[in-house]
This record gives sequence, C-alpha cells and structure tokens, in this order.
Amino acid sequence: MTHIARPILLLGLVLFLVACSGGRQVRNDEYGTDNQRELTLRQTGASSSSGIVVFGVDRSRQQQDAASGGGGMTVNAFLWRATLDTLSFMPLASADPFGGVIITDWYAPAQAEGERFKATAYVIGRQLRSDGVRVQVFRQIQRGGQWVDAPASTSTNSEMEDRVLARARELRSQSAGR
Amino acid sequence: MRKILLGTTAVVSAVMGAAIMAPQASAQEAPTVRIGGFFQAYYGYTQQSANSSNQGNGLPLNVSGANENIAGASATGGNGGGVAGNNIARLGRHDISSDAAVDVIVNGKLASGLTYGAQISMSSTGQEGRNITQRRASTGKTTVAIDEMYAFIAHPRFGQIRFGDEDGVMGGLMNSGWVQGFGTGGVHGGWERFVTRQAQGRTTTAPGGLGDNSKIIYMSPQFAGFDFGVSFAPNSGVGMGNGCPTDGASGYCDRAIAFTGARNFGIAAAGPEQVARRNEFQAAVRWRGNLAGVGIAGTVGYIGAGAARDMTSSGQQQRVFSNLNIWQAGLQASYAGFTLGAAYTYGDYNFFWGNSIRGDRAAEQLVVGGQYIAGPITVGANFVTGLFEGASKTTLTDTGTSLTPSSQVVSRSGGLVNGVVQPGLNTVGNPNGMSGQRRWGMGIGANYRLAPGMDLIAEYVYYSVREQGRDLDPNRFGVQSRAFSNVFLTGVRLAF
Repeated sequence: MTHIARPILLLGLVLFLVACSGGRQVRNDEYGTDNQRELTLRQTGASSSSGIVVFGVDRSRQQQDAASGGGGMTVNAFLWRATLDTLSFMPLASADPFGGVIITDWYAPAQAEGERFKATAYVIGRQLRSDGVRVQVFRQIQRGGQWVDAPASTSTNSEMEDRVLARARELRSQSAGR
Repeated sequence: MRKILLGTTAVVSAVMGAAIMAPQASAQEAPTVRIGGFFQAYYGYTQQSANSSNQGNGLPLNVSGANENIAGASATGGNGGGVAGNNIARLGRHDISSDAAVDVIVNGKLASGLTYGAQISMSSTGQEGRNITQRRASTGKTTVAIDEMYAFIAHPRFGQIRFGDEDGVMGGLMNSGWVQGFGTGGVHGGWERFVTRQAQGRTTTAPGGLGDNSKIIYMSPQFAGFDFGVSFAPNSGVGMGNGCPTDGASGYCDRAIAFTGARNFGIAAAGPEQVARRNEFQAAVRWRGNLAGVGIAGTVGYIGAGAARDMTSSGQQQRVFSNLNIWQAGLQASYAGFTLGAAYTYGDYNFFWGNSIRGDRAAEQLVVGGQYIAGPITVGANFVTGLFEGASKTTLTDTGTSLTPSSQVVSRSGGLVNGVVQPGLNTVGNPNGMSGQRRWGMGIGANYRLAPGMDLIAEYVYYSVREQGRDLDPNRFGVQSRAFSNVFLTGVRLAF
C-alpha cells in the first residue's frame, strides 16, 4: 500500500462512520474566517446575506417575510411554529399567536407513571434569537390519589427551549430551500 | 430531578426525535450569485523603533529581497545586505489607511440537501506591505488581488469539502481561543498596516498568517458536540498556473521541491506564496457545547509540513529546514456577553509560520484574550507572548559541498552621534547556539455599532521584539536588542 493510499482509505472509513452516525451539518458561519467582509458582518450583527443578489432569487428577503409572519403576527413565525411542534405531544389548552403564549393541558407520559406535566411557552419578539422563547414546565406527582405540585428542574425548561430552538433553526433552513 | 429529566426528555425525544434526526427532503434551490464587500479607513498614530532607516537588520535568515524600504535601491548580499547609499528615510507618525474588498458569493442547493457554492474575494490589500521592491515598483499599492477563492460542496451527513485558495483547518477555520472579535482584532488586528517591517517588528503569528495556499479541505458534520477537519496543500502557491516565470524549472515553480536558494525562503517572500513549506497537512478536532449556560469551544490541532531542499551546493539536495511540526490547543468560554479564551502553540516553526533552520529552537506561543459585548458596544483586550527561533544562523554559506551556518556580525566604526562620541562595535553571534526571540504584544480596543454592518473603532496596540545581542535597529549606535511599536488607530469600517 502506498503512503498516499493509506490516508485516503482512512478518510474513506471516517466518512463512512460520519455518514452512519447522523451528525448535524455545520454551517459556514460556524467556521472561522479571515475574510474581512465576513468578519465585519459577524461582529456588527449583520446578516451574511448582505450585499446584492445579481443572479437568482433573494431568499433572505423571503425569509424575512416568512419570519415576520405576513399575517400580522407579532412574534417570530419560526419560533412560534417550532414551539407548537415541540409541545405538540401534549394536549394544547390555548395558543395566542399575538401574545405569543402557548399553554398545554396536563399530560401524563406513559414512561413516567405517577407524574404529569404541563407547559407554558412564551415566544418573545419578532427576531429569531436564542432568548426569543421561554418554556416553563410544571410538574405534579400523585400522592394518595391526589395530584400535588412538585418542583420541576430548571434544566428541563432549558432542554425544552433547546428543542424549540433546534426545530426553529430547522424550519428556517427548510424555508431557505424554497 | 434526574428522573424528571429522563422522563421529559425521553418523551420529547421519542415524539420529536424521529422528526428531527430524519434527513429532510428539501426543495432544490437555484444558485444565487451575491456581490458584497467591505470598506475600512483608519487614522493611525504610530511610534516605532527603526523610524529612521535605510538598511535591513539582516536577521533572521530568509528575508532576501524583502529588506529594502526604498524602491529602486539595489539589494546586494543575501540576507538583508547592503542598500545603495544615501537612500535614507525618516518616518513621521501620522497616516490614514484605507482598503476595500469585493466578494462574489455563490450558493445553491440540491434536492438531496447537498449545498454548494463558491467564494471569490478581491481585496485591495493584496499588494500592500509585501515590501518586495519589484512588486512595489510595478504595481500600485491599491492594486486588487485575489485574497480567497474556493468552491465548497456540503452534505448534511458527509460534511463539507472546500477546494481552492482558502485557510486550512488550523489556519483559522476551526481554531478556538483566539479572542479577536473587538476593535480590528487587537494585537492581531489592523495596526500592522501602519508599522514598517524593519526588524520584522510587526508580524504576529496568528492563524490566518499561514496563508490561503491552494488546498483541499474536509470538515465533518458535528456529532456529540465534536467536529473535525483536515486539509492538505501540496505546496505554498496560490492561483492558477504553475508559477514558473520562465519556461525553465525554477524555485518559483509551485511544484519545486528542491531548488537553488531554497534556504532563503523559511520566511515568505514575493508575496506569501514563495516559501519553502511543502506538503502542508493540518488536522483539527473541535468541541463546542454548553456547560451550565456557559458556551464552551475547544480545539486541538496539528500543522505539519515538509520543506523544499536547497540545491545551491553543487546540485546536491540539502536539507536546511526542519519540518513544520506544530501542535495547538485552544479553549474559549462565553457567558452573558463575556468571552474569554486562550490558545497555546508549540512546535517547530518560526514567527512567520515558516520552517525553522535545522538545529534551531522550537517555538512556543501563548495567546490570551477577553471581550465583552453590551448592546452596540464591544470592548476587549488580548495579549500574546511567544519565544521563537532567533538569529543563531543568519547566513548559510555555500562551501561547495555543504552549507555552513554563520551568525550576524555587527561591525561598525565609532563616531560622533548627537554630539556624543560613540564607541565602535564588533560583535559576532554564535552559529552553534539556539538563540531565541521573544515577541510579545497587547491590544485593547472598542467598537460602537452604528448600524448593522458598520462600526466605529478605536484601538491601541503595543508590540515588542527582543533578542539579546541581535541588532534590531542598525542605524542607531550600539546593539539595539529591541524593536517595538505603539499604534493608536481609530476609524470606521463597513461591510455590505
């Protein structure tokens, strides 16, 4: 085996393993750069889709329209839909797209007998930001045939928020593919 | 609590997991071609040593042809040798520097989820500061040159391949711990544009300095917080063509693996591409995640390369450089607008990311930085200190059968300077030694974001080079073992 073939085989093996493991695609803006334009855009909070599209359709504008909801929504549409999707395994009690509040009914998962959960989610603002959603999970446990309040861990809330954000990111990237 | 977590996340995962992990069928996306760019202009107030100079300092090795600061002066001698007399200049302290770039960005997507595109960056900084007499004599300082140009193909499962002139994975793409998102980058920022290269007192050893030599890069998807990347560049050339300026094979050819005078190119000359580095391989593993609300990123990486051999001596191939053999580990943490980071680099390389002379010391460098973002304001500071190959071997003399190293000789007669009689000098370095060069600097800077894409900047940077017994300012009497620069800059930049 030549010294060239070995690294190629190794790379092939690694690619195979990576393909099987189902990782997350790393976006271009997650890599460092010494491109002055890109650096400045990142540091000044501007979108890397700045500039002028001279060929093709400017999808960033479509995204902005989609994100603003178009129908008079006052909260970010991606976050709103992502929150609904994420909480859809629980029965929905109320959802106010103008106030950005979603309240679920009590839900007792089959895997956790004797406890039930209820969630309230607040979608804040029109921007797709990591602090644009707050989820509060309430928990009750059954004691002597009665449901009594029990503390839910704060990390549960942040786990749910992470799920919402991941879903929102996914919705956004799908929307970019239109 | 653990049970709750398990219960809730298991439910969510069971319900949502399949939907999240399944590959998404997405609509094909016709490619878009986008034109963007940036402009920046700064006023700079500069104090530096070697402000009055007409000759190179001769050190370290490998800056042949890059020492002259006056176009047309003749370069004699291999390593910063003599310059025609009377070409003396004295520098003021005020300057305004501006530059711009235009980028063409192509993006497209296939129905399979595969994305593709290209980036071509045309920058007016390409010619500045290379300090090669021929270039400055023949092209304007604002001549547009290609900075980066590459194509990429990315797949959600297989990762991304970049092909073309772009940084390597440890040349800026996947490094962690280099905190320079404030000002123009602090000690690794725009201050260098105001400082002359005398004594090499302005070059910092930051990842981007490795250059955009034509390469192939692979970067994996992220799984469990980890992603990794590798890159390979067979030589140091950029762009198309074979690099040979004439029909014959010469050291300028991209594919030259041994050539006459290769010993002069441990440090890049004639633009960044004329350097002895060959078969450059980079590998990086990066982890990013969130620990108790603190965003963490850490990278461990390696840069290796061989070096072109010197054929000066009777056509023999002689190995004058150590292979590039560099390890780097970096870590940064972000919380509530604060970012702190540090990166440590160790291995065989010189301050220019070039190959060091065989027998010279390994280099090490520590970078520490922090920044804070509050609304439109960003403030930060960073610090770098490093010990690099010194000037033990400043010339390699061809004896016919071998290349024999010798050290810098500082020899000059005494005389009257500013009314004071100065003694003469005659010192010789030790070619068998392993002298080290201490380079350290610090920068503090602030930005005010005026609008998305536009900010106002103020920054101060101090940078120092020290080497005992080496004359870093030959136009002053005595051995000046220290070169320094102070730069204050303020200005505006705009990306669009």
